Amino acid sequence: MWDAFGFEFVNFYLIPGLVLGCIYALGAIGITLTFGILRFANFAHGELMMMGAYLTWTIMAIITAVIGITVHPLIAAIPASIVVIYLFFWTDKFFYKPFRKADTIKVVMASFGMMLILRSAVQVIWGPNQLTFVPGIAKPNAGLMSWTDDIGAILLIPNKHLLIFAGTIVFVVVLSYILNRTRIGKAMRAVSDSPDLAHVTGIDVDQVIRATWIVGGVCALAAGVFLAMDIQLLETTMGFRMLLPMFAAAILGGIGKPYGAVAGGLIIGLAEELSAYPWIGTEPLLSPGYKTGVAFAIMVVMLILRPQGLFKGRSF
Amino acid sequence: MKKLLLANTAIALLATAAAADVTVGNPMAMTGPIPDLVAPMAKAVDLAAAHINEQGGMFAGGEMFKVERADSACDPTAAVDAVTKLINVSNVAGIIGPVCSGATIAQAESVSMPAGVVTLSVSASSPAISTMEDGTDLVFRTAASDAYQGVALADLAIANGITEIAVSYANDDYNAAIAGVFSEAFVAAGGTVTANEAHEPSKASYRSEVATLGATSDNLALFAYYGSGGITLMRNALETAAFDTFIGADGMLSDEVIEQIGAENLGSTTFTTSASDASTSAFGAWKALADAADVPASDPFVPNSYDATFLMALAIEAAGSADRDGIAASLRAVATAPGEIILPGEWAKAKAILAAGGEINYEGAAGNQDFDGNGDVAGEFSKSTVVDGAWAAELIK
Repeated sequence: MWDAFGFEFVNFYLIPGLVLGCIYALGAIGITLTFGILRFANFAHGELMMMGAYLTWTIMAIITAVIGITVHPLIAAIPASIVVIYLFFWTDKFFYKPFRKADTIKVVMASFGMMLILRSAVQVIWGPNQLTFVPGIAKPNAGLMSWTDDIGAILLIPNKHLLIFAGTIVFVVVLSYILNRTRIGKAMRAVSDSPDLAHVTGIDVDQVIRATWIVGGVCALAAGVFLAMDIQLLETTMGFRMLLPMFAAAILGGIGKPYGAVAGGLIIGLAEELSAYPWIGTEPLLSPGYKTGVAFAIMVVMLILRPQGLFKGRSF
Repeated sequence: MKKLLLANTAIALLATAAAADVTVGNPMAMTGPIPDLVAPMAKAVDLAAAHINEQGGMFAGGEMFKVERADSACDPTAAVDAVTKLINVSNVAGIIGPVCSGATIAQAESVSMPAGVVTLSVSASSPAISTMEDGTDLVFRTAASDAYQGVALADLAIANGITEIAVSYANDDYNAAIAGVFSEAFVAAGGTVTANEAHEPSKASYRSEVATLGATSDNLALFAYYGSGGITLMRNALETAAFDTFIGADGMLSDEVIEQIGAENLGSTTFTTSASDASTSAFGAWKALADAADVPASDPFVPNSYDATFLMALAIEAAGSADRDGIAASLRAVATAPGEIILPGEWAKAKAILAAGGEINYEGAAGNQDFDGNGDVAGEFSKSTVVDGAWAAELIK
């Protein structure tokens, strides 16, 4: 099995890198939209991801307790998304809106405080212990494995990863439709380019802000649920750990550019995993212990050489 | 002048508060990667305090023995914050805890040692703690150093017929140290370490780590905390069929592992932990007390936590005051011979002997708790395997 062509590279480096990249990409979309439209780095984004995953777990547990059937996390995520969107509205109303006309640093600090509040709230409500999202281990999809074996490649992809790939593609397609074809999407892009100009042309900025939270909230929830599906457990710092790579992805793609966030997320995810591949000789190119450093190295180099990012976002 | 008066009043108030109660600080990793393991340990600390207060409290006046708990989160930064507050604001007499080695070393080096406060850790087992002090005698622990556990684990692996193994350890003080001891002992015992890599805790995926190591052996020695990547790494290893046999130490020994990964996948998994010899009379006394209070007597580091709390209280009682200076010397005196043997829970007896000017020697639930020159204790270890869906421990002789 280990001898199949590219077996190790594809299954242990490329595919995990893509899975991680998809999760980063979805999280980075929300960050980049908030950054572009509301003009601040939302530190609470990772915690809202985590909270979305916890809510999804709770809804799954309630359905199992009441009806006695186990629902798939992606179905339970639909009612959870409503709660998450309201959480985004609520944090905006009480913690970000009062600072909207103030210096950016104030609202950034408010989001930092929100991050700590949300994490502590989760620890109070659900406890500091890990929760099992899906027990057991995920075996690779047997059909895909035998089919690819016939053509001499052998792909080991568990169903959860196939769902993550498919889900991310659906989200990106829907997002691009919303941003390019709908009125509110065009308004969002207009506000991102210049809020004052958008305001004088009669765009309802408050409505745009609400739309931003909805899109960002749904993407954050999807990222949180996909992350929980991948690692199969829930714990209270899971969102925070993703936050910095997601910022790196948003900056790499260009602030305010959703496609940039997707590309940035995939690049960061792949770079982290592929940096440990034994490109030269049999030793890992970079010890896997330093994977996270790769994301930041890319971010720092990008900020120095091309601060507007790959997709010509805003530079500060 | 007014300010000075105010300050004096404040100091006087603080002094009265200190005279009314004896307060010790208890930083524990209530949140972080191992909350499951820590919850019963915290219960054991509270149980010891309850026994002390039930049986006459502290000193002649029967003052309350108070445990002020803080969250050290198994994290060096959080531990430094928590202990700074305990020492400077709560003005505690001594520190019982923290749980994790990295947290213990960080708080001792930057807070408790400079302040001259005794740290009595309940479970920190890194060999680095033995040698961290230079000229002071302030850091003690009631759990055995991994310098012994790593060797016990290596012997166990050899005894189980494992001759080659890949090692993966989380990059922190505890896991890196025990991995080092294990690798050295394993090679010395005739085994081959095929690969030895650090991994970064708390990543979403360890597939590339597992692939890098998995090409070299089917056996993995995993040193990690279950809550910060250990479970994910094991799951990734099983999913990709890179490894089938796992060995490891205390950080992974949690019911959480069985619940998450499934007992059916853990057939050839063995984790060691610091254990107590259940045949001693001290353990018997402890077990009766723990069972009565619904505390799991044999869980990892639970008896050690009780011992640490009891020893700290005995040391303060023997010193005659909650003054920080005398506690280290007094701790050595109450824990070692000569003296009348004191078993867990025998607070009234110990108090009477000390009041009469006698000497005592506490024999703990987790072992005899005789501190050596480095403030370390000897220990025994058990190996745990999954039997009928739960961890079953067996003492290694």
